[in-house]
Amino acid sequence: MREEQTFAQDCAEILRDELVAGRIDRRTFIKGLTALGLAPALLGGAGALSRAAMAQGAKPKEIVVANFGGDAVPAFTDAFAKPFEAKEAVKMVIDGSGPSTGKIKAMVDAKKVIWDVIDSGTGQAAQLGEAGYLEPIDYSIVDKTKLDPEFAYKWGVINYYFSTVLAWDSTKVQGTPTWADFFDTKKIPGKRMFRRTGLAMLEPALMADGVPADKLYPIDQKRAMAKIASIKADSLYWNSGAESQQLMRTGECVMGILWHTRANILERDSGGRIKWTFAGGILQPGIWVVPKNPPAGSAWAHKAINAMQDPAGQVLLLERMGNGPANPAAAALVKPEFARVNPSSPENMKQQVKFGGEWWMANQEQLTQAFLDMISS
Amino acid sequence: MTATAAAGAPSGRRLVLMNERTAYWLMVAPAALLMAAFYFYPLAEVLWISVTEPKPGLDNYAQLFTSASIRRTIVTTLRICVLTTAITILLGYVVAYVLVHASPRAQRWLFLGVLVPLWISVLVRAFAWVTLLAREGLINTTLRDAGLIEQPLALIWNEFGIVIGMVHYMIPYAVLPLYANMRDIDPRTVSAARGLGGSRFYSFRRVFLPQSLPGIIGATVLVFIFSLGFFVTPAILGGGKTLMIAEYISLQILDLLRWGLGTMLASTMVLFIFVLLAALARVVDLKRLFGAG
Repeated sequence: MREEQTFAQDCAEILRDELVAGRIDRRTFIKGLTALGLAPALLGGAGALSRAAMAQGAKPKEIVVANFGGDAVPAFTDAFAKPFEAKEAVKMVIDGSGPSTGKIKAMVDAKKVIWDVIDSGTGQAAQLGEAGYLEPIDYSIVDKTKLDPEFAYKWGVINYYFSTVLAWDSTKVQGTPTWADFFDTKKIPGKRMFRRTGLAMLEPALMADGVPADKLYPIDQKRAMAKIASIKADSLYWNSGAESQQLMRTGECVMGILWHTRANILERDSGGRIKWTFAGGILQPGIWVVPKNPPAGSAWAHKAINAMQDPAGQVLLLERMGNGPANPAAAALVKPEFARVNPSSPENMKQQVKFGGEWWMANQEQLTQAFLDMISS
Repeated sequence: MTATAAAGAPSGRRLVLMNERTAYWLMVAPAALLMAAFYFYPLAEVLWISVTEPKPGLDNYAQLFTSASIRRTIVTTLRICVLTTAITILLGYVVAYVLVHASPRAQRWLFLGVLVPLWISVLVRAFAWVTLLAREGLINTTLRDAGLIEQPLALIWNEFGIVIGMVHYMIPYAVLPLYANMRDIDPRTVSAARGLGGSRFYSFRRVFLPQSLPGIIGATVLVFIFSLGFFVTPAILGGGKTLMIAEYISLQILDLLRWGLGTMLASTMVLFIFVLLAALARVVDLKRLFGAG
């Protein structure tokens, strides 16, 4: 259970909790979709289609999208699979069994790939892509105008936004703290919380150390690590989103760096005791990747990715999971009550730092190990 | 004598013997095949990867001696495991001693107390410890309300918390072999020592303790080997700051794709455990220790 949890994995967990708490009504969505006439399309004889035929663009039996399970499966189903089926008459299945890096490698090595599109992250995309486990993103099919070209990489393309933000316990911290306050344990005593993989943890450290937000990249790893090491005795590290939430809620930490989705739930559940801000947050992209030789064929996998850039589905995903739409056109469709927590709304975007994917793609692997070595030494 | 008898036996008898042997192998075959296919083959595969990835050779094994990160993880793991084992054996010995000497009725209740934790998931137990040991946990708030402390004690998010969680998990594994051993100690030997004028403690130390030594050794090795593979408890109670070998391996395999390094560490651990068991086999009867015979 202890593989490092990714953001996508955490979203699934949040939804599961929400459903249990009765805050999400699945029926509403299903009703809405039925009203739109989105019934699952049935296909006859699709199984007979050979892979070769698919490569020429013939319809595959199904497209399998892998994510990290739980209620991210129904959320992805409603936001992406149902509209896709209605449009293309090809079934889209959401497989929530959790596509860890190691699993994708094993699958491609064994030539038994069962996923077509995978919900991934920047570092994983680069790591797998460079090792030959992914198809490069085909931008003749995936429309770059429907997304921020900065997050259109060779081995992966943005699917939604999330943010790594600063949260604090308002009974122990007055006003809105800055990153400098976060690293100043003399001014504000108490434990601080970081993500254990080190992903997007170096940027706050550098900003606290006086590096301007627009000069973070390329990251001065040594400097950032030294800054974090300076408060090591006062820090805790979370693996999973639930853990980050627990450490803040129980008063174990006075300030923490965590995902905006978890911060938002914390603020609500603590009745406003825990506060958070997008200011100085790191705006990160979730990434679609396509494994080498996907069963539906590379062309159809990319067609699916392109279809999922449709704003309506992305707005639905924001309402269900808090993930920010990747398509800039979606901002206009977001209801006001969700705009405040949307990391990719124009107002919130301005306050955050855009994640330097290029640097992380080149460095995440060595950084993860170096970061763990630093905190466990 | 036997040789001539065998040679002189009619061929029909030999056939029966052959058949018996064949039947024996046939009966063992399914289990052996199962083990070969699902245990030894994957294990061999793991070994193979450890000497072939990323390139053939012993480079991965060289890292055992050159990588500071691996060395620190091993030292941390050994430190925590040795400490856990020592405390577990001490506490387990006391429990087993009381168990052996209790009335049958009390024994039943005591056994229930030892065994019930075994049925509770390791995850649940780790989180239960979080509730007890945390900053705003039961222990700290009680002590604070009683006016005994002002600042919460650091009971968790460190190796102290990990050892508490691990000891709690391991105690049944110490109690059971110790109990099995102590049950076989003839109580009359202790009575005899007392009758000859030995004090309680002297009789225990010179008569009971030496006889329970095989149990202690067996339980120690068992608990130590189990402790090496701990994963969930350190991850939850360590506050993310303690990296033990099992988690280190999983990180290499699942996240960093350094399968050569991960499998090397796994192979090294398996080898280390085999060596420990071989050493143990020289001291105590393994079959007896693990319940057979």
